[in-house]
Amino acid sequence: MTSWLRSSEKTLEAVHLPLGHADYATTYRLQRRLHALRSHGEIVDTVLTVEHNPVFTIGRSGSALNVLAPPEILQQEGILVYEVERGGNITYHGPGQLVIYPIIDLRDQGHDLHRYVRNLEQAVINFLSEVGVRGRRHQGLPGVWVNSYKIASVGVYVKHWVTRHGLALNVAVDKAHFGMINPCGMEFEVVSLNELIEQPLTLEEVATGLITKMEPLFGWRFTRANPHKFWEG
Amino acid sequence: MSEVRLPNLGEIDEVTVVDWLKKEGETLKTGEDLLEVETEKTTFVIETPQTGQLVRIVKKKGERARLDDLLAEIE
Repeated sequence: MTSWLRSSEKTLEAVHLPLGHADYATTYRLQRRLHALRSHGEIVDTVLTVEHNPVFTIGRSGSALNVLAPPEILQQEGILVYEVERGGNITYHGPGQLVIYPIIDLRDQGHDLHRYVRNLEQAVINFLSEVGVRGRRHQGLPGVWVNSYKIASVGVYVKHWVTRHGLALNVAVDKAHFGMINPCGMEFEVVSLNELIEQPLTLEEVATGLITKMEPLFGWRFTRANPHKFWEG
Repeated sequence: MSEVRLPNLGEIDEVTVVDWLKKEGETLKTGEDLLEVETEKTTFVIETPQTGQLVRIVKKKGERARLDDLLAEIE
């Protein structure tokens, strides 16, 4: 069931880099550096997992007009705003949200943007299913939903067929922060995984679970890397 | 004259041109970022296929394009 979108049966080496808690700007620079290395074939597919301090990021189709809170409130809450090159509109990252940044070569995944986004969503859906939550897609609205509530958002950038940015899964987020934006330029409510299950999960547990679900979908065999060496240089 | 057309990006119907990174009249070098298109919350960068001058942008920012549609002409 998990292999239906695979483009080849070949197993690919991949690295999981669990960053723990790291600020947005530093992680962004790391993504760019790894993207350049992956584009030149100097590293294998690498998947970062991270939790950020509160930020709003505005994608290529977005507008600062979708920040609803006045600047003084953002300052009071310590929320920074970044314009980034990923697709989509505005989104929120912050404590209690697992962010996944796959830096991977889509030439090994069938040169297919649609398949890539569907596989990211499928990893979330498969993981949710394992913990007893029914996640699903909404036609024309990338991301993963539980009923009419959004639990995971997607926003990707691809250059030389290598990806950066990725996916954010709400595990235990501060919804007041989401209320300060008009997410994706449309109105819907978000939900966190821990609201839906009896035993709350930590972000680390969710990261491990999700990475495990990504493996068969993308044909990877992960090794886990120590983040410290990646922060250097 | 060389044509820049929308490449095969997989099982997608159409993309939206989100930004031209070069202007008409500009000299381009092979491999330089030329434009960004978006589909399914994914930005994809299309590179300059060959050195020359960007003589005409056919699909402007905000317009939609399908597989093999003409995006621009380079001379």
